[in-house]
Amino acid sequence: MRKRFGAVQAVDGVDLELVPGEIHALVGENGAGKSTLAAIAYRAVHPDEGSVASDGVVGLVHQHFKLIDRLCVWENVLLNREPRRGWSIDVAAARTRVRELSARYGLDVDPDARVETLPIGIKQRVELLRELDREPSVLLLDEPTAALAPGEIASFFTTVQDLAKRGTAILVVTHKLAEVIAYSQRVTVMRAGRVVASHLTGETSADQIAREMVGGEVPALAARANTVVAPLLALRGMSAQSGTSVLREASFEVRAGEIVGVAGVEGNGQSALADAIAGVVPFTGEMTFGGEPLRAHETPASRIARGIRVIPQDRRHEALVLSWNVRDNVALGRQRALALAKFDDAAREVIERFDVRPPNPDALAGALSGGNQQKIVVGRTLTSAPKLVVAYQPTRGIDVGAAALVQSRLIEARNAGAGVLLISFELDEIFAVADRILVIANGAFVGEFDRANLDRGRIGALMAGHA
Amino acid sequence: MTASFTRTRAFRDVVVVIVLVFGVGSVAMLLAHVSPVDGFAALFDGAFGTRGEIAETLVQTTNLLFPALGVALAFRAGLFNIGAEGQLVIGGFAAGWLGAQFPLAGYLAVPMVLLAGVIGGGVWGAIPGVLRARFGANEVISTLMLNVIAVLLTTYLVTGPLQQGNAGASETGPLPKAAQLPDLLSDTRLTWAFVIAIVLAIVLHWVLQRTVFGYELRAAGDAPEAAKRAGIDLGRTALVAMTLSGAIAGLGGATIVAGVLHRFNTGLSPGYGFIAIAVALVGNLEPLWIIVASLGFGILASGAIGMQTEAQVPREVVSLIIGLVIVALAGRRVIATMRST
Amino acid sequence: MNATTAAIAAILGLTLVKATPLIYAALGGVLSERSGVVNIGLEGILIAGAFTSVAVSGATGNPVIGALAGIVAGMLLAAILAFAATRLAVDQIVAGTGINIAALAAAAFGLVLVWHQPGASHEVPALGHTGEIVLIVLAFVAAGALHLVLNRTPWGLRVRACGEDPSAAESAGIDALATRFWAVVIGGAICSLGGVYLSLAELDLYSDGMTAGRGFIALAAVIFGRWTPLGATGAALFFGFFAALQFSLQQAGVPSELLQALPYLAAIVALAGFAGRVRAPAADGIPYVRP
Repeated sequence: MRKRFGAVQAVDGVDLELVPGEIHALVGENGAGKSTLAAIAYRAVHPDEGSVASDGVVGLVHQHFKLIDRLCVWENVLLNREPRRGWSIDVAAARTRVRELSARYGLDVDPDARVETLPIGIKQRVELLRELDREPSVLLLDEPTAALAPGEIASFFTTVQDLAKRGTAILVVTHKLAEVIAYSQRVTVMRAGRVVASHLTGETSADQIAREMVGGEVPALAARANTVVAPLLALRGMSAQSGTSVLREASFEVRAGEIVGVAGVEGNGQSALADAIAGVVPFTGEMTFGGEPLRAHETPASRIARGIRVIPQDRRHEALVLSWNVRDNVALGRQRALALAKFDDAAREVIERFDVRPPNPDALAGALSGGNQQKIVVGRTLTSAPKLVVAYQPTRGIDVGAAALVQSRLIEARNAGAGVLLISFELDEIFAVADRILVIANGAFVGEFDRANLDRGRIGALMAGHA
Repeated sequence: MTASFTRTRAFRDVVVVIVLVFGVGSVAMLLAHVSPVDGFAALFDGAFGTRGEIAETLVQTTNLLFPALGVALAFRAGLFNIGAEGQLVIGGFAAGWLGAQFPLAGYLAVPMVLLAGVIGGGVWGAIPGVLRARFGANEVISTLMLNVIAVLLTTYLVTGPLQQGNAGASETGPLPKAAQLPDLLSDTRLTWAFVIAIVLAIVLHWVLQRTVFGYELRAAGDAPEAAKRAGIDLGRTALVAMTLSGAIAGLGGATIVAGVLHRFNTGLSPGYGFIAIAVALVGNLEPLWIIVASLGFGILASGAIGMQTEAQVPREVVSLIIGLVIVALAGRRVIATMRST
Repeated sequence: MNATTAAIAAILGLTLVKATPLIYAALGGVLSERSGVVNIGLEGILIAGAFTSVAVSGATGNPVIGALAGIVAGMLLAAILAFAATRLAVDQIVAGTGINIAALAAAAFGLVLVWHQPGASHEVPALGHTGEIVLIVLAFVAAGALHLVLNRTPWGLRVRACGEDPSAAESAGIDALATRFWAVVIGGAICSLGGVYLSLAELDLYSDGMTAGRGFIALAAVIFGRWTPLGATGAALFFGFFAALQFSLQQAGVPSELLQALPYLAAIVALAGFAGRVRAPAADGIPYVRP
């Protein structure tokens, strides 16, 4: 099978076979072509070459749920397959059908709940139910556990294993190797659009798969220098809200010369935390920076002036102007301090130090790969001599090489005396980079760990909301 | 946006405009039992036939260029200012009333009259700006409403409490000679307003491309979330952009009063503020290209008069074409941005 | 009946008369926007319905055929907007503005073609008092019917899905572009009845500018009605009441221009008060481009 998008050969001559009753894991770096392959199998994307053959219906559970927030559960599950009575929808029959479906697969959910009111774990059940209603013989799961807490992941895979036992062929697209080893029977590794290895899971190891994914050794991070820590940011009983994200009574410190990691599952108050520090939303309680109180209704501009810089979670919408070139994007946030004459120097500095490719200040930001876009965002932040860096999911969706570079530069900023608050949904990233780890669940901070004495199981339990 | 990308799209837009002009124009002429050849000949003759007609074409160009620059400024800031028509009317009224009411000293008269237009239009643009910045009210609806209100309000004022001219006439008194814009071409209606408009376009281009204010305004329009996080105050930017946008349209209204009509009349604009949307879009929201687009639409507008008198084709055909041009080209730039996200 | 009750009854009756075209236009707007297409072109569609129904009634001598032709014209104009908004994925607000300009110009052009005079048409066979009452009642029936269609039928659910998240709708096998297209076109049919009412029921001729910005008021009514058919109908009655009040106050000597501005002012004030408290359909106004 082959598929090309513009200059990118996303899938390049791939053969893949799925067998009823088997959980097949498809792994690879971001941009390796996994999601494209899944979309082709689902027939949402037409391959340039090759074909898909299947007995029966193919179902796909999307990484970013294809749910409509303001419709209720049964409307989402049965959309375009509504039971009818004359000209109208038979609502009673629809409810019954969803109840029966959720009972059969042990996925409990209220058919009349509006989807926007549901927690992420339940939303995923709805997403799964929608596909199961079509009685698929093949089920594709694209990064299904990205938004789940460790405990929820186990129960999710119990359901998946149950489906496999009933004879469904299952493909799990993922980059979480622990899940591959724990739950799959077979694993296929992709790199740059090609299949580079295929194993029975029992005959391989996470280390081997990792090497195959990257095509060599996993790049090492920058060394951690000894630093003198000093008070920088302090929160006392700080509460804030940003959209649906709510943070309650947060109290912690970030000191100069350390990286504090915030571990938690997506949607547990992280956005409110980042936005309150950035000055995008107001807060209540107390926040001091360098000994001075931050005012609740300060603007982002005044936070930037104090030396607080935030790397937002969504680089495409919150950080970059995609229709602009690299030069103007590098200046964003420093446009007044730099003045137009210095835009070019600033852009060249970022391009050089952060290895942005192509190394052209006139290239359109929207045309760059995710990794290179992120290098611009991180680069412009770290080259502006920040005192505090809030990095919110700084390596989301970028390849291993770019991720290692971003993480290394964050460590170097810490070595140079900046305070770093790393908010990430990837526990591995936090373990690799942070000096101290705070755990966030349901909008509150529920635990603190030092780099010296980490307890992975305990952190996972806290993230899932088990005190 | 790369230069080649912009050029390809601009070329495609020009083709669309030409197809619509000649296609729809021909059909309409055939409906009116006029041969398209005669009809278009009359149109071009009406636009270029005599010195006076060329001057009239440039008058129409000027009248479109001001509101189109205003519209472009707001659109670049991500604000759909559909209210240039009302801002132009209010600016024209302020200029006409002030000029007719107070006998101003010679060298001050024209600047004061134009300034009155700037302030009037600016205030009328600031209202939706405030409503948006303060209450989050959608500027599309409020500017649409304010267009209607502008005409009703000025009609009430000139026939009621601020009446200067003949009772019952919807116009102010005449402007004294000192308050009239000097002619650029003698014995025509073309005045220095044309030069002011061209200079304004160049200044606006410079402001957008070469100043931090322009940079912030474009950031607010192209990626508001990113702009907000980069310390740009979106509410303030919206207010300033709407005020400036209205002020420019208001200046246009003032130049019509001080240059063409020599008094304010509630019917001073045959929809310049709406046609300006098409002009701004065809000009790709770039002030320098908008000069070219204004000239194109100016030719259509002045040629329409010749077409009506010489070939008996109703001039509304031109408005019809302009409406369809707007539909076809609506927000190409917006879409180019959205596709890349 | 004493004088006061008579006056109140007169205002209420006039409210119905003034609200009816607004109701039709607002219902058309609701259907269009629930599918995700903002319809600034309501004003133009009112003009298309008003002009065409008069022209065809004059030509055939049959006002009912005229009314039907008005509906067809409204659908055709809406189809242009719908095509631009779906297949060309242009900006809907700007395109709608173009629709308004084109419709106004086409009607003015048509006046000259058909009656050889600018400004207004001749008088034509009209729907009369019975027709007026039928159209008033039909407006409320249409509101109830649209409510049921949107909330109870498979098509209504699909329209709502496309207005909230066309990409999710497409992943469920719905053709979001076609759904939006037909929602806008059917919305155009409903809206054009408002135009038919103005020219062929309330009057018996078309004149330039007779729609007088009602399409814009209807847009405001869509917002105040929270994008629901029944809510929009209520808001249209509210604006209709202001328009009716204008006639009564005019007799009391208040200048007519200020009174005419009342509904527009009310709309702006209400808009400022409402903004932030109502949520438009999530994908309203955002062109959907297939990946």
